[in-house]
Amino acid sequence: MLSQIFNATLETLYMLLLSGFLATSLGIPLGVGLYLCSRSRGLKGLYALLDLLVNIFRSIPFIILVLLLIPVTKQVMGTIIGPNAAIFNLTIAAIPFMARLSENSFNGVPSGIIDSSNSMGLNRWQMVTRVLIPETLPDQIGNVTVLLINLVTYTAIAGAVGAGGLGQLAINYGYYRFQWDVVFYAVIVLVAISQFLQFTGGRLARRLRK
Amino acid sequence: MILSVEKLNLSFEDKSGKRKILDDVSLSVEEGEIVGIVGLSGAGKTSLLRTLNLLQPVDSGSILFDGLDIVGLKESEVRNVRKKIGVVFQSFNLYRYRTLYQNITFPLKIQGIAKKEIEERVMNIATELGLEHRLRAYPSQLSGGEQQRAAIARALVMDPKMILLDEPTSALDPKTTGRLLDLVVSLNEKHGITFVVVTHDMDVIKRTCDRVAYLQNGKLDFFGPTHEFFVKIENNEVSDFGKPLELEKGLLSANKKILRVLFWGTRTHEPVLWKIAKENDVMINILYGKIEELKNGPFGTLIIGVEGDKQDLFVEELRKSVFFLEEVC
Repeated sequence: MLSQIFNATLETLYMLLLSGFLATSLGIPLGVGLYLCSRSRGLKGLYALLDLLVNIFRSIPFIILVLLLIPVTKQVMGTIIGPNAAIFNLTIAAIPFMARLSENSFNGVPSGIIDSSNSMGLNRWQMVTRVLIPETLPDQIGNVTVLLINLVTYTAIAGAVGAGGLGQLAINYGYYRFQWDVVFYAVIVLVAISQFLQFTGGRLARRLRK
Repeated sequence: MILSVEKLNLSFEDKSGKRKILDDVSLSVEEGEIVGIVGLSGAGKTSLLRTLNLLQPVDSGSILFDGLDIVGLKESEVRNVRKKIGVVFQSFNLYRYRTLYQNITFPLKIQGIAKKEIEERVMNIATELGLEHRLRAYPSQLSGGEQQRAAIARALVMDPKMILLDEPTSALDPKTTGRLLDLVVSLNEKHGITFVVVTHDMDVIKRTCDRVAYLQNGKLDFFGPTHEFFVKIENNEVSDFGKPLELEKGLLSANKKILRVLFWGTRTHEPVLWKIAKENDVMINILYGKIEELKNGPFGTLIIGVEGDKQDLFVEELRKSVFFLEEVC
């Protein structure tokens, strides 16, 4: 049983980290896009569209999103079960979430800092890479922490539809076979992962926040 | 002339409709000059300052900076103009997660200037501004005065032709204010940098400004030398600044003729009053007097009572040698 839990933990971590990485590296640029569109007079229409899409994707419950995505997942990943298929689903669900979180952080940059950066003659690319990202870095670390902890829950849900990992272990052995000790250990590992993420993320953000 | 603003108009739209912020404002700034923009809050001072480097686009009018009309320039061209104009904001706006050194070097780094050159320039400026021992500190660890100087250093490092200061003393205590004003004057004299200062602080106007632009409800009510602005204040034509001097009733009845006299410039140091009084054989009684040190010369206000047969002649003579004279009663 111990080796099963160990393997399931590795699978969960694999799904978690890869989807977290993909969602962060695609979600933050989308967040930048949202922020820039919302502040540019000519792009208000585009903002409304992106805003709506983000809202729609965020309001679909994850388990239903997984079902809706089945044909797409099959096309893209070649399969609908296993950790890799789950990573695709998790990433799709997490990108709009991360985009919204990062957009909120960008909106929190004091307008004076934007003004003074503009007055130094920064172009838009410099504005993003030299001002918006560095000025929100501690917040973004916090956002990634929230994202990863959410993904811990999502990986467990994905386990119910064949993703593997601790979620599937808990359902197959615990729920269907009444091995409650397996459920118990799986939950302990999930809680431990969440605690570790929260602790590390919080510490990192605090260290960056001067 | 480094800056010339012609018929600037700006309005904002909100729920209650269109609001005029700037109404046909025209003014000019000579190279090496310090010009103050004053007025009540909401008069359009900060909006005017923000239009000068196009942070705030205007409805109509022209802004000639260094001979180039910057209204209607392409965005890339605007960016180049902005690099020649330093701005120090009211809230300083330092980057929160960069050290003082990184903040000051920031404008140079984004221009890709060599590291060696950056270091030399920054050290010179930091030393001149008394910041050299604080370079590793983060903005949150600096005092208000240090943050202010850091913001000035960040503007200076670009070697700007002109620096815009927005309410530079609003967050500083009187002592720090004094040091800041000395710094502005010395930067102006030593490096020939032109300053445009938005303020409602009389000390800033007195000690730094060559000329003053007075805005009222978006209109330019006055634009001229600082001492002339003070005449306006003394004559109660600027309701927003100072309050009229009220003389005690007893004084009024005890004196036959009361004059209010304004002096300006080198004459302030001469015994003009005594000379003319002696020539006309009148007795004078000083009821009130003050002298303010303006940047372009001392400015004096005097209220005197006059008695004697030739008092009318005295008034005529005095009127010729002072800046302004008014018979109070």
